[in-house]
Amino acid sequence: MTATQDRQSTDTPTPGTTGEPRTINLIQAVTEALAEELERDRRVVLFGEDVGARGGVFMATAGLQARFGKERVFDTPLSEASIVGAAVGMAARGLRPVAEIQFADYMGPGFDQIISQAAKLRYRSGGQFTCPLVIRTPSGGGVKGGHHHSQSPESYYTHTPGLKVVMPSTPYDAKGLLKAAIRGEDPVIYFEPKRLYRAAKGEVPAHDYTVRIGEAAIRREGSDLTLIGYGGVMPDVERAAEALGAEGVSAEVIDLRSLVPWDQEAVVGSVQKTGRAVLVSEAPRTGNFMGEVAYVIQERAFDSLRAPVGQVAGFDTPYPYVQDKVYLPGPNRILAACVRALNY
Amino acid sequence: MIEVHTPDPIRYVNEDGQPVQALPGRFTPELLRELHREMLRAREFDRKLITLLRQGRTTFYAQSTGMEATQVGLARSIRPGHDWVWPYYRDHTLGLAMGVPMYELISQCLGTNSDPSRGRQMPHHFASAALKFVSISSSIASQVPPAAGSAMAQKYLGTDEITVCTFGDGATSEGDWHAGMNMAGVAQAPCLFVCENNQWAISTGVRQQTASETIHVKARAYGMPGYYVDGNDIVAVMEVMTHAAAHVRAGDGPALVECLTYRVGSHSNADADAEKHYRTRDEVSAWVGRDPIVRVERLLEHLGHPVSSEERADLIARTHREVDQDVLRAEATGQPDWKIMFEDVYADLPSHLRTQAAALRAEQDGGRA
Ligand SMILES: Cc1ncc(C[n+]2csc(CCOP(=O)(O)OP(=O)(O)O)c2C)c(N)n1
Repeated sequence: MTATQDRQSTDTPTPGTTGEPRTINLIQAVTEALAEELERDRRVVLFGEDVGARGGVFMATAGLQARFGKERVFDTPLSEASIVGAAVGMAARGLRPVAEIQFADYMGPGFDQIISQAAKLRYRSGGQFTCPLVIRTPSGGGVKGGHHHSQSPESYYTHTPGLKVVMPSTPYDAKGLLKAAIRGEDPVIYFEPKRLYRAAKGEVPAHDYTVRIGEAAIRREGSDLTLIGYGGVMPDVERAAEALGAEGVSAEVIDLRSLVPWDQEAVVGSVQKTGRAVLVSEAPRTGNFMGEVAYVIQERAFDSLRAPVGQVAGFDTPYPYVQDKVYLPGPNRILAACVRALNY
Repeated sequence: MIEVHTPDPIRYVNEDGQPVQALPGRFTPELLRELHREMLRAREFDRKLITLLRQGRTTFYAQSTGMEATQVGLARSIRPGHDWVWPYYRDHTLGLAMGVPMYELISQCLGTNSDPSRGRQMPHHFASAALKFVSISSSIASQVPPAAGSAMAQKYLGTDEITVCTFGDGATSEGDWHAGMNMAGVAQAPCLFVCENNQWAISTGVRQQTASETIHVKARAYGMPGYYVDGNDIVAVMEVMTHAAAHVRAGDGPALVECLTYRVGSHSNADADAEKHYRTRDEVSAWVGRDPIVRVERLLEHLGHPVSSEERADLIARTHREVDQDVLRAEATGQPDWKIMFEDVYADLPSHLRTQAAALRAEQDGGRA
């Protein structure tokens, strides 16, 4: 059993379901998770801009309205504040709303509802009211979308107490995390790395399972250096680790999967073993969530560190259209940071 | 004469090109031919840009095919280069008609060195300081409160400019739309709000967008007149728009004009299968039958000044040549390099960006060596 499987402790077969695991892509995993949760729980409702007849601009909800009806899968007016705010109201009344925001770049108009209502309802009411909702949204770059279709705004949300924040990079995690988010009792911001929608393929079990929010996945075991990332950068992180492997350097690769809460044990344990850490994300560097990871590494694994914690992030510029590929941290930039850590 | 809050859109020329009320004197055959030329030019621009898209020379395009009368009519009712415009992303026909050079527009779509927006924005999210045509944001309705502010500034500065703010029907659902309308109403700011109601917001029809019978009646709630016009009838658009602009310019506060039109093409290239998913072929062909360009052609024919097929073909060919030449000229300027990423983030390059730019320079130089 690999470390990865070992940590997927919540992969629980449902009695009676059999069948072979299938290889699907990340967006199919999202669609399957939504369909299965709609099937499983009548309280689950799904809505957003163009999610109904159109099936979502990325087709994540394709076929769901036809299958579950317009009362459970529906289009809303073009208003993110209404979408999120209505989800809060429904959640408070016992439904399990799953709202789609068409692009993470457009969460702005719903921001106040997310941070003032969704995130704080439980706390400010002394737990009398709760807000179990999920906001799904495609995020990240690499699709030549300019700054309005490429941003990575997760840090705004990780900075908000009361929200859970996740971002899968594999179909397995996409499905398991989404189900966990829908079944959970808290508001979850579920970022979908859009450039992996079709690029990330992988096996998912035939049976029902969830992936616990807050657990990282160790994608690759190693002893010389720990590479930590999440979301859209993961394939490049793994490519960099492979390239290091070819040079005889053994890199451990951790996919955080969840940012709030995040798996400090997995990260600290790994860095204590390898003595070096390189953090990879594509969001602008200043205020980037990885700054928090770096802080915890120096706080809890300082004695093990053999080099400063490396960070590869997006630049502190709005996401550019023409230089899409230059902006993103590709394998070369990741490798260079690893080499710096190794040669320190 | 021009009514506010009418149940039916104001119209001068019907779909067969017959006047349904007396044409105002300024609509001479010469003017009508000019308007026809401008609309056709924009239509062919759309057509050529879709070809560029198919050739992979640009990555995104949102047509305004079918909406030419609304946008050309608006451009003709304001003072380009004098009045300020806070547009939305489907407004390249408005830009062209206001005088944005095709070369600039194409450069922007291609993200070349000749792009005034410097390769930073998605295709046709352009800006023209010379024409006071403010940079387009994709974020729906985010231009509405700034437009109110722009008009408030004009009032404060005592200039005779007005501000024009355009948006689709979908945009009127956003909080920003209501906030901006309310602000302009309270401030009695000289802002002309124009709803290009093409009846769809991607796959969401206007009936799923609002429970209000029309958009223009909402103006009343914000203390301004609301006009409703057949957006495929350029005569009506210009008459109503000119009237509303005069109201705004006279210092009588903001106004809203709703132009009822139709998005004949797909929402964008990301949505090429509209008919399969959310609207019927019949609906689309009914609106194709209400083509604003054909309507003017029929009107001119009715007036005894038909546009000859040679004239038409010549104009189309000229536009295609112009686009082709501009594309080659723009492409020849090359793509902006990585350095422009760091410029214009702030007025001056702060030290942390200087550090990041230096690191990227080393990486890029290293890559070249
Ligand atoms: C705040 C925000 N939410 C969502 C989107 C995605 N989106 C782009 S265009 C569009 C539809 C806009 O419709 P409308 O305002 O009617 O303009 P039209 O495209 O029909 O001209 C949507 C939902 C966006 N750009 N901004």
